[in-house]
Amino acid sequence: MANLNGRARQENTYDAIVVGSGISGGWAAKELTQKGLKTLVLERGPMVRHLEDYPTAVMDPWQAQYPQGKLPADELKSRYPVQSRTGYTVTEFTKHFFVRDDENPYTEEAPFDWIRSYQVGGRSLTWGRQSYRHSPMDFEANARDGVGVDWPIRYADLAPWYDYVERFVGVSGQNEGLAHMPDGQFQPPMEMNCVEKAFKARIEARFPERRITIGRAAHLTEPTEEQLSLGRTKCQHRNMCMRGCPFGGYFSSNSATLVAAERTGNLRMRPDAIVTSLIYDEAAGKATGVRILDAETGQDEEFYAEVVFLCASALNTAWIMLNSTSSRFPNGFGNGSDQLGRNVMDHHFRVGARAVVDEFSDKYYSGRRPNGIYVPRFRNLGDAATARKDYIRGFGYQGGGGRPGWDRDLTGEGFGAERKAALSQPGPWVMQLGAFGEILPYADNRVTLDHDRKDKYGLPTLSAKVTIRENEKAMRKDMMAAAVEMLEAAGFKNVQAADLGYSPGLGIHEMGTARMGRDPKTSVLNAHNQVHECRNVYVTDGAAMTSASCVNPSLTYMALTARAVDHAVQAKKKGDL
Amino acid sequence: MLNRRNAMRGLALTLGVASAGLAGPVAAAMPPLTWTPKALTPDQARLVDVVAELIVPATDTPGARQAGVPQFIDRTLAVWCDQKQGDLLRSGLARMDADARAAHGVPFIALGPRQQADQLAAYDKEAKAAWGQPHFFKSLKELVTIGYFTSEPGATLALRYDPVPGAYRGCIPLSEIGRAWAT
Repeated sequence: MANLNGRARQENTYDAIVVGSGISGGWAAKELTQKGLKTLVLERGPMVRHLEDYPTAVMDPWQAQYPQGKLPADELKSRYPVQSRTGYTVTEFTKHFFVRDDENPYTEEAPFDWIRSYQVGGRSLTWGRQSYRHSPMDFEANARDGVGVDWPIRYADLAPWYDYVERFVGVSGQNEGLAHMPDGQFQPPMEMNCVEKAFKARIEARFPERRITIGRAAHLTEPTEEQLSLGRTKCQHRNMCMRGCPFGGYFSSNSATLVAAERTGNLRMRPDAIVTSLIYDEAAGKATGVRILDAETGQDEEFYAEVVFLCASALNTAWIMLNSTSSRFPNGFGNGSDQLGRNVMDHHFRVGARAVVDEFSDKYYSGRRPNGIYVPRFRNLGDAATARKDYIRGFGYQGGGGRPGWDRDLTGEGFGAERKAALSQPGPWVMQLGAFGEILPYADNRVTLDHDRKDKYGLPTLSAKVTIRENEKAMRKDMMAAAVEMLEAAGFKNVQAADLGYSPGLGIHEMGTARMGRDPKTSVLNAHNQVHECRNVYVTDGAAMTSASCVNPSLTYMALTARAVDHAVQAKKKGDL
Repeated sequence: MLNRRNAMRGLALTLGVASAGLAGPVAAAMPPLTWTPKALTPDQARLVDVVAELIVPATDTPGARQAGVPQFIDRTLAVWCDQKQGDLLRSGLARMDADARAAHGVPFIALGPRQQADQLAAYDKEAKAAWGQPHFFKSLKELVTIGYFTSEPGATLALRYDPVPGAYRGCIPLSEIGRAWAT
């Protein structure tokens, strides 16, 4: 019996366990396996194989069952009441990559839009692919403003890891030499269209502190040998990315990191495995592994390893840690600081402006660029000229120019040959700017475990209470005003401003629930993403973020993960875990 | 056989009363449906077939009929519309026939092209006045337009469609493309 147990335990023992297979978990898996560690990846959702499991990737419009692939109202209401709040995530072409809300309950103490993808690859399959570095200013911001806690690292600590992940990921973009939006290892930038080029020229002439650049997007425009060897090819500009890319044109765990990990022979992927808690050995003062619940069979099982990487996404990593209680950690794993689940951040958006451009009517474009333009932050850059009195931090704009197509006026007046001919031609150019702003860390913006409300597995659920405050609200006014100002300055017409409202979560950039910091009393993780109170557990997803910056965060999770694995492997060699 | 003959006589009689001499063109305009509707009745399907073609007619490119829009509408009613949306469309179709009978004594599809266009123009005006409110003609026009431009003939002939563009060229003469992109 003891032998059997011993053998069973041995069979379930790995050098490393990674929880989650999204953008962070994929990186942890790649780095750990390439450094020779036998690694088990536990993914709560089903298997998604690159290419094979992209059922809608090459569907033509006329193959849709529903009008424009929009789901019936009844289905949206009964199955996807939260996932549909973005307006773009769940369609006939993409719904299989998002959770059903009726099967994955949580509680909104204040409106909180929790958009989730439970599958191998996680949200790396459906992400927006915009890839920006946090700047030196971002890593210093909390200390300078006296907000939250100081990051325990600086830009220089992460810069080489940004280089490293960008080279593997493949990010197309333009170096701009801006201190507040660092350059990177870019593949050739995508092209701006006529209106965007005009906008850039006019704005940069008028506002010297503002720069218009092409979006930095995780798409291959000039694949490297390494990328080609993984089976990835150049982005084909289909802009159907959320269905999965048959060309491997954009970066996902499925197309890149998990392929690289698989090739080492050191990877074991276990889908349908819901990690319910960390196993803590009080005597050793270490985590020895994790408990899972098999989503298919409902069976509990344990897996063991010397080191555990939590990459389950900010809220689910917090859930696992909060659900991992012991006499050492009565309030959740490594939660001596009581910061676990707190400081939830996202990026606030859905505010900006659009305008009609009555020029270039004889010009058009070809291809569907899966990217737009980017206006790097130009407020509060540390000098008097950009300082704002009404709020701290800042925002950037994503935007672009384009000519609306046949669906620009589906119910408008008229019918017959004349209307048909009009809709068969592109509409006038429009230019739009949508701002993405930084949200500060607030300790009472938090998620907690609700033991009274259980999911279908009998597991406790999360309850979220997250709101934006005065700083964000003041910033939103400027986010709108500055968009109007620029579109008008560019000479565009019919400038229309809008604040469509924002609830936390909708940016799908949840962060901060197990923040990094210098002091175990006020933070959960140290400078290497180790849990202060249990050094063989690393957290490298959005949970680790100490502040949010205003740029899209995934690239930073990837760089933090690669850096943390490097640390873990060295610490393991030294017997230091 | 007898029943059928009686029915034919009844139809002729109705049409005769309404507008002598229409029976010929109407019969010609009413070829049997070449497909079996799932959600629409055969009469509704014939009406949708005519209205869809009026909304997006064949020109130098195929019209709604050739693009399979009536079948698209039928499928949309069967698998997509909820009760409210379905009722709006069905009651709208019933109203089109009722209005045609009230004004001219025949169902909509038996009207002359000019009369049909006039009746649609009246709905269009009404729909525009009902800004922000549901109106069957808005819904019908929307579905016909989507059905048409997402059909293979609509996307590839009335518009330009390129499933795998390969590259993005940001500033080229419109004349090089000639039409709006389908996607």
